Amino acid sequence: MENFSLTRDELIQLTSDSFLITFNEDLNFEPTQFIMIETPTSIVRKPFGLGRWYGKLAIGVQVIGPGTKYIIEQRYLKAHGPCGKGFTPPSGKGAVIATPACLAIVFDMHRRFLCDVFIGSLEKLKIEVSFKTVLGDEEFVALLKSLKAYDWFFVVGSDQMEKVSYNLLKDKGQVFVSLNEYMACGVGACRGCAIETKHGLKHLCVDGPALRGEEVWN
Amino acid sequence: MELKPPIVIASGIGGMGEYLKLIEPKFIGAYTLKTITFKPKKGNPPPRLIATENYLINSIGLENPGVENFIEQLKSGQYDELFERVKIIFSFAGDNFEEYEQVAEKMAPFQNKFIAFECNLSCPNVHFNPLSDLTTLKRLLSSLRRKLDIFLIAKLGIEGAFVESIAKLVELCGWDGVTLINTIRALHVDGERIIKGGVSGPILKPIALRAVHEVRSKTKLYIIASGGIASEKDAEDFFKVGANAVSVGTILYKDPSIVERIAKNFS
Repeated sequence: MENFSLTRDELIQLTSDSFLITFNEDLNFEPTQFIMIETPTSIVRKPFGLGRWYGKLAIGVQVIGPGTKYIIEQRYLKAHGPCGKGFTPPSGKGAVIATPACLAIVFDMHRRFLCDVFIGSLEKLKIEVSFKTVLGDEEFVALLKSLKAYDWFFVVGSDQMEKVSYNLLKDKGQVFVSLNEYMACGVGACRGCAIETKHGLKHLCVDGPALRGEEVWN
Repeated sequence: MELKPPIVIASGIGGMGEYLKLIEPKFIGAYTLKTITFKPKKGNPPPRLIATENYLINSIGLENPGVENFIEQLKSGQYDELFERVKIIFSFAGDNFEEYEQVAEKMAPFQNKFIAFECNLSCPNVHFNPLSDLTTLKRLLSSLRRKLDIFLIAKLGIEGAFVESIAKLVELCGWDGVTLINTIRALHVDGERIIKGGVSGPILKPIALRAVHEVRSKTKLYIIASGGIASEKDAEDFFKVGANAVSVGTILYKDPSIVERIAKNFS
């Protein structure tokens, strides 16, 4: 774990509000680990999942307020990490389902695990990707229903999208989700990112962010 | 107690030593552990945090394993490396008078592992407020002093009697120091959600400065200033009004390197 500075290489616009940032620096990380990035708009750093884009260290950012807007505008960012527990999938064939802002994470997972990738977006992507992409909620639900059985699924996006996906996929394979909860330290100190699971309280910055869907939902 | 450098990592914020992943121990005078209570506490339900640019509201609710489990952890060697790397302050609290005494009794045999014990008398996220009744507080402070033979620090808030009156009582009861101040009860409206908790961060600085100034003028207690310290200038201001050490808390979440900068300025 380190405190470091990152220098932006490329800023790639994915949708009207989602971006992928690549960096000149590199960092060893495991799938689903994240970094905490400083912004002037908050007294706490914000978590962003680590990924790669054609070999370069990358994160995805959905601009939802001044803090995320700041991140896409900066050339240099202060951060610490990698934080969180790396995700190791079970053996067998897997599929990853994600929103555009998580493209860097799933690009990296695709290369590591040779898994299939499906992107659910509310609008057409502004770049070409080699993954199957569906537009809108109806198409997304239809996609999930049409998926065959896999040994495992990994879903990363909003809480609502993850819950819908879990409900539609839980009988087709083991489902893992990357959960979101407000975070302050990212290192296990503050206990702020606690969530209730069937096995008691978990802290997403050290026990997650990836958990089995069945730990959280029925 | 002499801390070199005179910088303390605040209880709660620093967890159980996790920030040593990001800060060199040589920049830390003492590291205060998360508050341990008599019974294990699961803490409050999420959401537990909300942050803005100048404050954080937390409602962790003293999540901790309880004193007996903590002692087992101590005996197992779980914290040995931590003790080797930095001086540690033990923080404790209870849900009532008796529980404070029980934690003190159970921890007394282990006190030589620590540089000091900090008694958290002011957590805004639990129901028991020992500062609300000075007669009971005096009895509690006297009882804990008899049970513990270590540098004893009272962590005081500003909700109750004037903080300088409470600090005088702390001194009268033979305690050695105070940490000023704790978070203050607060509320944040976020759309339809209302989040209650204790507020910390830069917004607390003028309140904490006043508390340190008042207590310094009325007592000779060792004062650890805590509240809104986010820069070298902030630390300097607290030393000017009488602090012996500064406690760094919420700002760690934004910039852990601040500890090194303050340490280099005041070593």
